[in-house]
Formats: sequence, structure tokens, C-alpha cells
Amino acid sequence: MTPAKNLLNYSYYPGCSLHASAKEYDESTRGLFRALKIGLHEVPDWLCCGATPAHNVDELLSLSLCAKNLSLAEEVGGDLAVACAACFSRLKVTQHRLADNEEKRRQVEYAIDGKVSFDNKVKHLLEILAKDFGLDRLTAAVRKPLEGLKVACYYGCLLTRPPEVPELDDCEAPTIMERVIGAAGAETVTWSHRMECCGANFTLSRPGVVLKLSGDILASAKAAGANCILVACPLCHGNLDIRQKEIEEASGQWFGMPVFYMTQLLALAVGVAPAKLGFDSMIVNPLPLLKEKGLV
Amino acid sequence: MKHSKMRLSTETMNLGFVRKVEALSGSSVRRCFQCGKCSAGCPMRSFMEHPPNRIVRFLQLGQYERVLAGRSIWYCASCETCTTRCPNKVDLAAIMDALRKCSWDAKGPSKESLVQLANRLFIENIRTYGRQYEMRLAAVFNVKSGQFLKDLMLGPKLITKGKLRMFHQKNRNIAEIENIFARIEALRKKGEAP
Repeated sequence: MTPAKNLLNYSYYPGCSLHASAKEYDESTRGLFRALKIGLHEVPDWLCCGATPAHNVDELLSLSLCAKNLSLAEEVGGDLAVACAACFSRLKVTQHRLADNEEKRRQVEYAIDGKVSFDNKVKHLLEILAKDFGLDRLTAAVRKPLEGLKVACYYGCLLTRPPEVPELDDCEAPTIMERVIGAAGAETVTWSHRMECCGANFTLSRPGVVLKLSGDILASAKAAGANCILVACPLCHGNLDIRQKEIEEASGQWFGMPVFYMTQLLALAVGVAPAKLGFDSMIVNPLPLLKEKGLV
Repeated sequence: MKHSKMRLSTETMNLGFVRKVEALSGSSVRRCFQCGKCSAGCPMRSFMEHPPNRIVRFLQLGQYERVLAGRSIWYCASCETCTTRCPNKVDLAAIMDALRKCSWDAKGPSKESLVQLANRLFIENIRTYGRQYEMRLAAVFNVKSGQFLKDLMLGPKLITKGKLRMFHQKNRNIAEIENIFARIEALRKKGEAP
């Protein structure tokens, strides 16, 4: 893995979920980026970003945990590639808040016993694929166009919010996911719930919230004629995939809707072996759909 | 319907608390003119006893005890839809964070103990391991909340799918992580951080 062979190089922050419940997101991300010759160099000893629970009750802790990760990433060098939408939002918010608040920055620098790093940009994988690598190159790399898939691109909350921070795309009407998966030959549907909350971390404390909110999202995708949902966040995936059967039982509706990480389908399109994409880790089995469309 | 008289003055408004929330959140509370856009877009509104715009109104009227003791602030999902759509640039998501911190620090009454328990265990996990240990988080939550059978059917399925790790290693830099927590506590003890 010598950097010289790669077209682009990034430090890589997988986030906690990608080491357990979302391991197929990690596997498919590494597979996709290897195939596209984009180097991902994992940040050594990265720690939890604090996610929602930390900023919910302790902003200083949240900013400090993220700042520590940013300084660990600086040792690797390059812009920081982040897979999880929540980690992406937290790391990005931290740089933004600390850049223009000297008092908070001093507190954080005391807490982490070091300088806050602003030099390297925090980028979501989507941003790297669409902007740095480019959609033309992505299309050129496609060996197996995703024909027959009608994809509902689900953004969730944190890819584009808060508006002044992520800079990923328009905060109310983004198209970056549609453009990226469209470049791999998939058809995308227009639907209502693409940016509605899935219930997020209430999956632990109040799962009833998730059954309602994620149920509405699945119903909206189905009504729009989608045959699968595309996500870029492990928590959204957990709520829509792992809890789907429970949602069906609670709502009396049948969805049978495979929920893919965007990197799984993109990697499939550029020719990564399906066995390496973690399809067998998904709770709603996607293989019947992929076989029907001749993609595996 | 019986209307009770309400007297508005700088005293009843409790500007001290409003200023505290404004300092913590970096957002104005007073700029809100009650258009209700935040509540219109809020995905959690149906789970709250008071919708987001009413929370801000309570603050403006000095009734913050009702806010801190209620469950609405704990039912906010931090989706930031309100902040995105506010025409007056009131950062309601940040205000919710500030209110939860006030409620959390005060250890006062709150109707939403399960969300607080989940938050506490999540943060403890970071201090103990560095990274989240999802299996332990769920198991300890069930024990401590008394819901021993919650998601019982999900566990084995996730283990077969390789989605739950049975064993979890601590970060090698766990001592540095402990130092972050300790230094923040020291700053607060000296009154140099909120």
C-alpha cells in the first residue's frame, strides 16, 4: 500500500459502528476505494467522537473528543475521510465552532493538551467520490452498471445539517447521493422522506420512536416505487434494516426493502467481488433482488 | 376557557437563565418571534409534551423550571431541522443541548430517565474503552433500566450476522482519554469552563 500508487490519499476515520454493527460499510468502503485507487490510511488509536449523547449533555466533552481525533488524524496526513454521517457532522462542527470561538478553543486545547488541528478538511466519503475523485472518473470505472435498481437515496439528518457546517450539498434539496449512484447506472426515485429523521439513537432508549419514524420512511420509499434504500449512516442503516421486521409487525405493512450502504452498491458496480461486500451481514436479504437484476 | 392573568416584567422573565442558555448555546433565545416553523418540521414533535417553539416561549416567559423538569428536551433527536429552517437564525438544536446540560448538571427532576441513562452509559463507555462497545451498551442498558427482555430476539441474530462483537479491546491510548475527562473536570472545578 504505497501512497505513490494511489490517485488520492486520505486519513480514514471509520467510527465505532464500522467496527461492529456496520462492518459491511467498512469492508465495502475499503473495497471500493482500493478499486478506485484512492488511499485510505486509518487513523491509529482513533476514539469515539462522542456522537449525539456527548453533545447532548456536554458540549466541551464532545468538542474535546473530536479535537483529539483531529490531532490523531494529523499524524497520518491528508484530508480526513469519514464514513459515518454522525461522526462526519461532529468532527466538522468541532472545527467550525472552534475556529471562531477562542474561549472554547482554549478550553479544548487544555483538555486535549495540544493544539486543535484546522489544516486538514473533514470530508464525507460522498464528497470525496463526487468532488475530489469526480463523477466522470467514477462512471468510467463502472464495469457492472446497476441497471434495474430503483434506489431511494436516504440522506437522514446529519449529512447536510447544520447548513453552515457540512458544505456537502444543499441543506434542504441535496442531490449528491443521486448523482453518485446515478453515475454507477442506477435509477433513483423522487420521494418525500429522504431527509426525515429515522429515530436515531432512540433505538436504545425508546425503540417505539424508531418504529414510527423509520416505518414512515420505509412506507414512503415503497410508495415511490423504490426496490431498495441507499444510506450513508450506520445508525440509519440499523434502524431501517435491523428493525425492519419489527416495524412490519408493528405497522402491519410488508416492506421487504433491502437497505444498502452506498459503498456496497458502488463497489459492486466497479467490479469488487460480491463476497467481499458483506451482503450476508444484512438482515433484509438483498440477494434475491440483486440476482433478479443480474447483478450477482 | 378560563384565562389566568400573566404579569410580564424583567423579573418574571428571568433574564439570568435566558442569558445562561444563550451563552451556552451561542444562540439568541429572545430573537424567536414564534412563527412555529421549528415545530412544523420537527420529527419528534408528536412524542413531546411541548413542541419546540413552545419551549422557547417558556424560556422567554421565565418558566424554565417547566422545561427542565419535562420530557420534551430529552425527546429531541438533534436532527437540526429546526436550526436549518429558522428564519431568525435561532439555533434551537444548540439551545436544546444547553437545556439538557442545565437539566443534567442540576440533577433535578426529569420525566425522561431512559434517554439520560442511555447517554450516561454511552459516555462511560468512551471513558472505559475509548470506542463504543455496542454489545455492552445494550446489555447494561437493559439491566439498569430493568428491561431484561428488551430486544432479546435481536441479539442472537446480530451475533450470527457478525454485527455484535463479543469481545472488545480498550484503546491503547486509554490513559490519554482518561486525562481528557479529568482535565475537563478540573477546569469545571476551577470555574473555568461551563
